[in-house]
Amino acid sequence: MRAALLFSLVSTVAFAEEVDLNAKQVELLRAEVASDVQLQAAELIDELVYGWTKESPFDVDTGVVLAGVSVPVSLGTGLEAYLENHVAGLVVKNPKTHVQFVHCPACSAWVVHSGAKGTVVTRGYDDPEALAQAGISSGAKHALFLDFEAEGASLVLRARITTLEPSLRIVSARTLSTATSTPAMLRDGAKLTSVAEARKEYLDALGGRGLFLVPVRVGIRNYASGTQSTTNATPFLWVSAGFEAAFTQARAWTASLNAAFSWLPQSHVAVMAQGRISRLLTGSATSLTWPDLYAFVGAGVLFGQGRGMLIFRTSQNPTIDEILNTSTNNEPRSTLGILTIGAELRVKNRISLIAFLETLPALENEDNIGTYVTIPLINLRFQSFGVEVSFCF
Amino acid sequence: MNRALLLCALSSCAIDTLAFKTKAERRNLDCQRLSDVEAAARYPGQVPPPPAKELAGGVGDVLACSTRYLETGERPNRDEAILSSLSTQVTELADSAGAMAPQTTRWHVDAFYPSLPVAQKIAVAARTTLAQRGFIVSDRVPTLAAGDVAFLVTLPQSEVYRIACARSFVTEVLGPDEALLGLMIVDPKETQLHGGVCLRGEWRWLP
Repeated sequence: MRAALLFSLVSTVAFAEEVDLNAKQVELLRAEVASDVQLQAAELIDELVYGWTKESPFDVDTGVVLAGVSVPVSLGTGLEAYLENHVAGLVVKNPKTHVQFVHCPACSAWVVHSGAKGTVVTRGYDDPEALAQAGISSGAKHALFLDFEAEGASLVLRARITTLEPSLRIVSARTLSTATSTPAMLRDGAKLTSVAEARKEYLDALGGRGLFLVPVRVGIRNYASGTQSTTNATPFLWVSAGFEAAFTQARAWTASLNAAFSWLPQSHVAVMAQGRISRLLTGSATSLTWPDLYAFVGAGVLFGQGRGMLIFRTSQNPTIDEILNTSTNNEPRSTLGILTIGAELRVKNRISLIAFLETLPALENEDNIGTYVTIPLINLRFQSFGVEVSFCF
Repeated sequence: MNRALLLCALSSCAIDTLAFKTKAERRNLDCQRLSDVEAAARYPGQVPPPPAKELAGGVGDVLACSTRYLETGERPNRDEAILSSLSTQVTELADSAGAMAPQTTRWHVDAFYPSLPVAQKIAVAARTTLAQRGFIVSDRVPTLAAGDVAFLVTLPQSEVYRIACARSFVTEVLGPDEALLGLMIVDPKETQLHGGVCLRGEWRWLP
């Protein structure tokens, strides 16, 4: 008996917790949906008020009661309050609409009116005669209703203005729609523009990125240790600047040419010229909101002078005498060709992180420099690994 | 947040963005196929402009998918079906109704649906559509006396609208130059809206 009671209690608690969790998840989901809907709903109100600035429903300034804002079925009243504030703010900032909102608490309150035909319980704006008789009408002659509904992937606004007279005639009506696939224009409330103008600004913003960039890169290249050599190549620090061109605004394909410089006291002075061709992997066009991943191949030529370049000599391993030699007249020099493959993670065409592997074909059969990675089929050895941070201007 | 997902039917897109979506997430997508010319104009920066040869011939296409505002299961299925197609259904019925009465007729609209919030959405959509078409539309909903309503609820559904219409005209709830557009579902399980017009005491179902 006690076991049964205990089981019953435990199962009841578990069920209650499950219900509680479900309720929380539903609330989270609704909050997420509302956060998406609010931008689109505000966008529709922007368009409605913009339309009024171009063709006002009234010839002169007219008092209007904001009678009701209804949001999509299943969404909450928080969104209604936000939209009421948004439309009120827009109307205040745009006097050309000739709409002047009037405060009328009784208009949205339930009103009980008894007369010869019986007793009627209704909202104030549905029975303006009762408001007038009671002396609680605000003097406004019109009421504005905004109704939002989510129809699949579309959000639809139906706005209507009715006369606050017994006929409740609709004097102005508009239906506006937007979709989840259409980004909100986020227009400035004090300077409303048309959708076409806002879209042009959007396109200009996209186009303003330009086809050309100037990347400035700071990076380091490290060379693998050789199997026979007792000395290792020092990591090379590089600073480079160049020029990058995209074939289209989508920046799916880009090409760049960079000149780089490296200097390490007592070791080397080196310059390098390198070209790269990059392909966007994450989609067909660069994103304004997410990082873009590129893959690239490149080729370049490196010229260096100094004892640090001894390791790149192809003929033989460096000797102690050569390493200790301080004569600048007899410093070793090397000129090397470089092939590069790598990946670049770029954010908004402004900053990027680059990792790459390089092969130096001239050192293909030398043991001074080792190998990080080998491509077996073609026996291609990558002797260098590097990372760069790039800033684009 | 931009919720557009673009699938390029040609070779433009390197990664199929739908590949990362679960079945449940895919069920919440509304998709339509666009020509790549139209897609490039509608989604600048996301869809690259098509090559010149396609501008002439228009052979490429793009599947543009948008996530529904409210996911499947958020609202009762019947309400979701009605609301998702609200504009289409109501516009058809309002256009049919508008053709049945003179332009000078004052229209009233009421909706009969089990859920009051959904019924209000249907009525508002019809009123707005009629007003945008240039008809005289009133926000007032004609109501019969309590005794009439008490009698009407005892009648079979097929008779209710006809008798309520006649009664509205006799009791002058609706005048000779006024019409009522009623929108409703006839069967509780259906998701197709029906409409009828009450004009001068005569009820006529809309085709």
